[in-house]
Amino acid sequence: MKTPLPMPQIRSAIGYDLVGRNLLRVQRMRDERALANHKPDPDSPMNPAPRSLVNVKELMSAHYLKGRYAPGVHKVAWVTSGAPVEVLQALGYVLIYPENHAALCGARKMGAELCQAAEDEGYSKDLCSYVRTDLGSIATGKTPVGRLPPPDLLLCCTNICQTVKYWYEVLAEHFDVPLVVIDTPFLYEDAHDHQVEYVRRQLEEELVPTAEQVAGRLLTDKALHKTTQQAQTASNLWAEILDRSQTRPAPMTAFDGFLLMGPIVAMRGLPETTAYYEKVLAEMDERIAAGVGAIKDERHRVLWDNLPVWYRISRLSKTLAALGVNVVASNYTYAWAELADMFDPADPMVSAARTYLHPILNRSTSHKLAGMRRMIDDFDLDGVILHSDRSCKPYSLGQIDERDRIVEQAGVPAILLEADHNDARVWADEQSAGRIEAFVEMMEAAS
Amino acid sequence: MGPFDKEDHVTSVAHFAAPSRQQTLGRARDRGLKIVATLPYHYPRALVRAHGFHPMEVWAPPSARPDSGAMHFQAYACSIVTRGAAFLIDGGFDSVDAVLVPHGCDALQGLGSVLRDFVTQRPPVLTLYAPRTRRPVDLDYLVAEYQRLGASLVDAGGTEPDARAWEEAFAVEEAADAALRGLYADRADLALTDREFYAAVRAHEYLLPEDFTELVAGLPPGPAPRPGVPIVLSGIAADPPALLDVVNDAGAHVLADDLSTGTRRMLPETTEADPWQRLAQSYLAGPVDPTRADPVADRVQRLRDLVQQTGARGVLVIAPPFCEPEQFYLPALRKGLDVPLLYLEHESGTDVDGQLVGRIEAFVETLEVTP
Ligand code: SF4
Ligand code: SF4
Repeated sequence: MKTPLPMPQIRSAIGYDLVGRNLLRVQRMRDERALANHKPDPDSPMNPAPRSLVNVKELMSAHYLKGRYAPGVHKVAWVTSGAPVEVLQALGYVLIYPENHAALCGARKMGAELCQAAEDEGYSKDLCSYVRTDLGSIATGKTPVGRLPPPDLLLCCTNICQTVKYWYEVLAEHFDVPLVVIDTPFLYEDAHDHQVEYVRRQLEEELVPTAEQVAGRLLTDKALHKTTQQAQTASNLWAEILDRSQTRPAPMTAFDGFLLMGPIVAMRGLPETTAYYEKVLAEMDERIAAGVGAIKDERHRVLWDNLPVWYRISRLSKTLAALGVNVVASNYTYAWAELADMFDPADPMVSAARTYLHPILNRSTSHKLAGMRRMIDDFDLDGVILHSDRSCKPYSLGQIDERDRIVEQAGVPAILLEADHNDARVWADEQSAGRIEAFVEMMEAAS
Repeated sequence: MGPFDKEDHVTSVAHFAAPSRQQTLGRARDRGLKIVATLPYHYPRALVRAHGFHPMEVWAPPSARPDSGAMHFQAYACSIVTRGAAFLIDGGFDSVDAVLVPHGCDALQGLGSVLRDFVTQRPPVLTLYAPRTRRPVDLDYLVAEYQRLGASLVDAGGTEPDARAWEEAFAVEEAADAALRGLYADRADLALTDREFYAAVRAHEYLLPEDFTELVAGLPPGPAPRPGVPIVLSGIAADPPALLDVVNDAGAHVLADDLSTGTRRMLPETTEADPWQRLAQSYLAGPVDPTRADPVADRVQRLRDLVQQTGARGVLVIAPPFCEPEQFYLPALRKGLDVPLLYLEHESGTDVDGQLVGRIEAFVETLEVTP
């Protein structure tokens, strides 16, 4: 006699596998049809958007839907965006990235409201707006994804900032669940052996035992090898996709990249992510072969430094396109690509220790500058917009000198654009428009 | 007159005379020590001394020109960072042999990186990354990180310490630490106002340890003046020092603190023979500290304990604007403490202003009527 399925399993089987995924598939097909039938607007400065943007919506929605039905079926871990998730993927966790969730809230124009809700709880308006958005979401229950599953485990890796350690301490207090910290010493210079060893030991001595205990199962070498392999393949594909914008005209904008990057951030290590990026790459090649650029008149090619301004992505993209500017590269989207070579499925722990020590945000300002200089050459860029992000200090402090060096050494115009990644209340329309126009004039004068 | 000469606002009080910063530079050099300007604030003093350096801390010097800092940092960097950078760039660098920037927060990370990468014409800028947790794995890492710092000090012109150098360094630094602990323990029996008391405490930030020990030994006995209601002072620094006069004038006195410039830096002594282990163990056993990103409940508990032990009627937290390490704990502190809490944001290195006075007075009035 078969044992009847417990309730959470039944709910998940119906809500996610049977109904939810199919509804999302139908929605995606509709969106694809609408995109295909969409009559190009002769007045729009943009060419039709890549189809992959429709697919990413389905993939990310399915990811959050799975999370919604996860309690009682899968263990749920909330993790930072630079966390070594391959171990958790191998143990079958459903992963929620509060930063990704906050970005989604920002893109859906909920950021300011949720930031305010966190401020009403006593959090300072100076704290990272991702943090405020998510704490506001927890306080109010408001989220664009229906419902966020509470975590069974928290994994915080300090390789993007120290802010996340504070944030996850608050979450640990709130949810009363284990918090694993992977502390990654900031690399002012090349990594020293003791720093790599420190991270490796934390992975083996802190993360694995706690994650196994919470999951109620043991990590196998085979499973870890597989997720590491998947993470590496997807990261490589992501790098290739971004590099396709070295072509003139670039087949996508960095603003498209901000949306397409969802899976590499939130679903790294899963086969569906790899499969998805194979399709994206194919589409970029198609667009290049057909000579379809992201914008109609690509006169200026620009680099975006720092996080996006999530609540203005579409408007900013159009405003710039109308001025003949395509933002073809971003060191933010590249953050999930540049480490691909460091993964080594044959030695997952040591290679993970190296990989997760080296994200751009854990490296010096000179490393960041060198990366931008390289991109200026590789992508044949005419200028750089440095988003001076009020509530993300690790990404923003250093930009004044970086800008000065770009102008002096690379000889291209560069501006600081004051904003905030998720808090729309900080955005000043007129001031930003003025800065952008002046920037374009500088590029025009230089060309 | 050197740039350090202008920075004695913290310790220039009538009641006692300590060597000035500029004099300390000379006294240290006379002993064959090099000078390392040190940003706030956790670093192993005995290690620095054993390697032939004397640390002089730089906490938002008031003489620093904010414009010089603004050439490198946006307005949302705290004043410890912008004024620290300005002080060094506008002459501080010329007086020292090295600079040490401990990684205390994301803002100090930016400072360390910018100084190293983009400021030329400067002495070596050394860094230190201490762990954010207190596990066995952190101890081993910290030992190795301290050894790396030691090697950087040697590269910066210091000396490789032998057993005697370690012994001497521990002797003078631990004596100064004991003096600091004694200063707190004897607080009620010293004829010092709050401002004078913290002037003495903060002299530890720049004096030679031998001079600090002597300073403490010579402080005037007598009952401490304790006007009005008792409070606990928490946060980064009681800066400007005149703020403490404002507290007293408003009708309150400080009975205990949880300041980065106060008890947060009081580390326990350990008996470990190996010097690296001894320093690392001591650091990891130090008090709960928001700049170490300690758990929320521990932070609340530490302040609860301080309030309970002292009978304080309120908690005053002071930090520069944009100080995330302090800001994150505020909602939990407000919920978890049984006494009123006032959070004051004030640019370190700037004077007391009317708004600050008004807020302190209003807070103290509340405490006076709170049962
Ligand atoms: S401070 Fe910056 S790096 Fe850290 S979580 Fe916020 S946006 Fe991300
Ligand atoms: S005041 Fe706060 S933000 Fe500034 S250096 Fe100190 S801990 Fe960092």
